[in-house]
Order: sequence, then structure tokens, then C-alpha cells
Amino acid sequence: MTDQDLDTCYTALCSAIDRVGEQRAPLFLSMLALSLLARQPDAEAALPLIRQAEENTTD
Amino acid sequence: MSLISSLPDSVPVLIAGGGPVGLSLAAMLAQYGIQTLVIEADEGYCTGSRAICMSRRSQEILGWFGADRPLVEKGLGWTAGRSYFRDREVLHFDMPHDPAQRFAPMVNIQQFYVEEYAHDAMRRHPRHANISWNSRVLAVRNQDDGVEVEIECGGEKKWIHAQWLAACDGGRSTVRESLGLALKGTQYEGRYVIVDIEQDSQRPVERLAWFDPPSNPGSTILMHRQPDNVWRIDYQVEDGEDPEEAVKPENVLPRVQSHLEMIGETAPWKPLWISIYNAKCLTLDSYRHGRVLFAGDAGHLVPIFGVRGLNSGLDDAGNLAWKLAWVLRGAASDALLDSYSIERVHATRQNISYGAKSTEFMAPPSYGFRLMRDAALRLGLADERVRSLVNPRQSSPISYDGSPLNAGDGLTGLFPDSAPGEPAPELMLRHGTETRHLSQFFGRGFVMLGVGLDAQGIDALRRAADSVGKPAGLPALQVLAVGEAISGGDVDAWQAAHDSLLRYQAGAVYVIRPDGYVLGRWPVAQADAAAQALGLFHTPQSSL
Repeated sequence: MTDQDLDTCYTALCSAIDRVGEQRAPLFLSMLALSLLARQPDAEAALPLIRQAEENTTD
Repeated sequence: MSLISSLPDSVPVLIAGGGPVGLSLAAMLAQYGIQTLVIEADEGYCTGSRAICMSRRSQEILGWFGADRPLVEKGLGWTAGRSYFRDREVLHFDMPHDPAQRFAPMVNIQQFYVEEYAHDAMRRHPRHANISWNSRVLAVRNQDDGVEVEIECGGEKKWIHAQWLAACDGGRSTVRESLGLALKGTQYEGRYVIVDIEQDSQRPVERLAWFDPPSNPGSTILMHRQPDNVWRIDYQVEDGEDPEEAVKPENVLPRVQSHLEMIGETAPWKPLWISIYNAKCLTLDSYRHGRVLFAGDAGHLVPIFGVRGLNSGLDDAGNLAWKLAWVLRGAASDALLDSYSIERVHATRQNISYGAKSTEFMAPPSYGFRLMRDAALRLGLADERVRSLVNPRQSSPISYDGSPLNAGDGLTGLFPDSAPGEPAPELMLRHGTETRHLSQFFGRGFVMLGVGLDAQGIDALRRAADSVGKPAGLPALQVLAVGEAISGGDVDAWQAAHDSLLRYQAGAVYVIRPDGYVLGRWPVAQADAAAQALGLFHTPQSSL
């Protein structure tokens, strides 16, 4: 994934969140996260990403 | 003297607006020997520092008329920046830079200095470049053979005939209004307060950004160092905050004080200038309307983030100057000025798309963009894979791929950085003890550049160049041979330093426009194609 491709996906995701709306955003993002996890090679690759996001979610 | 009687009845090029774009255009046209009169409503240079970041490309353009040296001496060059989420650094970025470059990626300087240096360049050509301060355009009448412009000065009015009118009169352009034209596009809601303060500081010159800093929770703050111990501080105003209240010193100064304290800048300070801003992506559909040509903010307004405002305006002037000169000298038809509009409208659309992205990060326009911005900042602290999203997309030269001016590409698919329509990549050139840069040959005539040629190739280059005519009153073709070693026969030959030739094909001939864009390129065996492409701009014809 190049920086430019990541940027394109970022903007597409922002717009998709706006289309589904604030209320349904957690559901939408959870579904997306699940798709992306399923595309990881194995749990060993996926679990640290979950941990990393969790650690940086709290203040 | 700015009495109306001192103004001419007619002038080849009338320039509405004596800001940095209009003054630079006048200085460039003076170098081509074209007479201009600049009409400026104010009595002198602008107040407040306004546009402060001059890109490498802008420094190069200012160099065409000798304004680069004072700019670089006075300005503060920078190559890097830092972004913070709350009080933690999330990104430390470097702008593209290499030893073959002539200028820093960016220089910070107050706009009034740029205006002064461009005006100084005009004053070196007193017979060609003139300015009338305290004067304004009242009305414009487009005609087939020129344009009639009504000027007001000292309470008196006068119509002046010009062959061409360059509208460089800013975002609230009178010329645009009198032609009944309107900018089209989108405006963003998020507002930023812009404050200049004077404060002594030892901090290195970098672009600094804070998201949700403890000093101003929820806000975004940008800081830039300027000469004369001046800080530019931009901060986002809360949604729903009244803009008139937001710029009152009693509301501005405490926020600035709180942030200066947070970053440990404790020297005494005072405010110099306060303004407010909201991001706009607006443009005219065409920058040519009959005999009227729009440049700078008069034709387009782009978001402040990424510094594409004045920098794109100077690129407009740089694109327009040589084309006006060629048309006025009869060496090209006025269709050349249609290409000005096509290329620069394309550039604006690119600038708007980059500027919109910067704005969506700096001032998120909706829930989705805000949520994702916060996610990128938080995750960026830990995960370098997403950090590039935090990087500001700073102004860079726009490719004119698809321009009708682009001539043939005899090297299709090779070295895309130096393809037709691209800004010619910089070269550092050496000959004995002398050092020059390729960009120092721009701003005058066309350049025919032979890259990595053997003796036979040099002969072909020489023959092709000799077959190109010389139109009266325009700068001659410049012929250069550049290689790993000096080999040029009777051609101006240079050795390329610092691997700078890596973006050019060896054994090829490049034709570069006066504004530094590649017109076409061919293997040297097809050097006659290069001569043919140049022939379109070098037909000897009657001059003015």
C-alpha cells in the first residue's frame, strides 16, 4: 500500500462513515475491521493490531 | 506622481493589481522588453504578513527577475516539520531535498517583502515597467483588437487602451466583477484565526502543528517562524463561534499566551496582525476572456493549507509572461494564450484537490472526517504505517500532462519525471570552478538540452539548433550539453553533479519552455523533431 493509496482509501472511508451516519458508524467500522482481519495471514499477525488500536483508544 | 494626466493613453499590457503576482508579471514582461502599467488601489505594499511560505518553484520564478537573492537572504529557509497530537510528537517529516537543488523546499517571508523585491525588479526597467498607486479599475470593455479600461486616480477618470489586460487584482477582483464573471466551487465552514506576533525565539525554523493541544483543547494550531522575530500562528475557531468576536484581541491573546507557555516560549511578545480565514476551493472555468487574462486570486482561491495560494499565483505569472511576450512580438498566434488558461485551470483543479485533502485533515468538515482524523493521529503515535496521513501535502509544481502545447515524446514510458508537460528536474551543473543550475537558464528563451551525447550527438544537436530561426525581439534559443563528463565541441557544455542526471535519458535531446516545463524530448537521432517543435515558436516575423 503506497502512501497515496492509503490517502485515497482514507478519504473514501471518511465519506462512507458520513453516508452511514454517526449512529451506525460503530457497526460499519466493525464490519470493515472484520473484513480486514479476515485478510490477515493468521491470528499472530492480526491480534497485535487489535491490541495496538485498543491501547491508543483510551486517553 | 500619480496624477491621471501622467498615465499613458495606451499600453501593450495593463496589469490590474500591484500585489506579488501583478508586480512579478510586470517585472518578467519588462525583461522581455514589454511595456506594462500596473494599477494598484493601495498606496504601497500590503500590510500584515499575509502569504508567508514561498515554495522552491516560487523562488525559482523570482530568480528569473533577480528577486531570489534578497528573498533568500531575508527569508528563513526550512526543510522539515513536526506534528503533535496533544503533547506527543506524532510525525517528524522532511520535504523532498537533495544536494543538486538550488533552493530550500520552502522559505518563510512576509508578503510585503516579496512585493518590494518584485517592485525593485520593475524599477530596474523604468522604461518598461510602471506602477500607478492609489488607482483603481472602474470598468472594462473587451474588444477584438484590445481592451478599454477605465481608471480612477486622484478623483479623476480616464480610459486606457491596452492590447491585453492581466487581472491580478485579488480575491475580490474588480475586473472579474466588471466582466460579470464569478468564481465557482465550494467553501468550507471551519474557520481559522491568523495571528502574527513579534517574539524573540531560538527555535529552529520548521512547520509546527498541534492537534488538540493541552493549551487549547479541541483546537488545531499551526506555527511558522518568519524573519524579524515574527511568529505566524493559525488556530482553528470552535464551531459556532462568531467570527467577529473571534478576532477581537481579548479573545485571541489569551489563547496565544496559553500556547506559547505550553511550548516554553517565554520571551515578551506583542501582536502585530490578526485576521480570520475559511478554506475555499473556487475558480473561474477559464482564465482567458477575450483580451483579459486572470492570474492569482482573481482567478482562483485555494485553501491556505499546503500554501498553494501565492505560490500558484506566481506560477500563473510565470506561465503567462513568456506567452504574452511571444504573442505581442508576433512570434505566436494568440491561441498560445488559450494554452495559458488550459494549463493553469488544470493546475488549479489539482491544487484544489490537494488543498481539499489538506483542509479535510486540518479542519474536518464532518463527523466522518473528524473521527478518521482523530483515529489517524492516535494510531500514528504507535503505528508508522499510517503516519503519512498526518503529513501536510505541501505545494509542489503541477504537471501539465495533456497540455495542447506538449510536443512529441520520443521516449514514451521512460523517465516519467522528465516527460513532456513535467517541470524539468533540476540539474546542478559544473564547468571547472563554475557552478550553475539548470533553472538559472529559465525565464528567458527556450532551452535545447542535450543529455549524455557523444561527439556525433553534439554535432546533431548543433545542426538542429542552427536550423531554428530567431524571431525579432525575443531571447535566443539556449543550447546546452550536459553529461557525466564535459563534452560539447562548440556547444555550452557542463558536467552534471550529484547524480542529478538520474531523471533524464542519456543520448537524448530535451526542449524546455521558457517557464522550465519540458516541451518535448527525443533520442538524439531524432534531433530534427526537436528543431521542428521549436520552429513553432521561432518563426522570424515582424515585431511590434
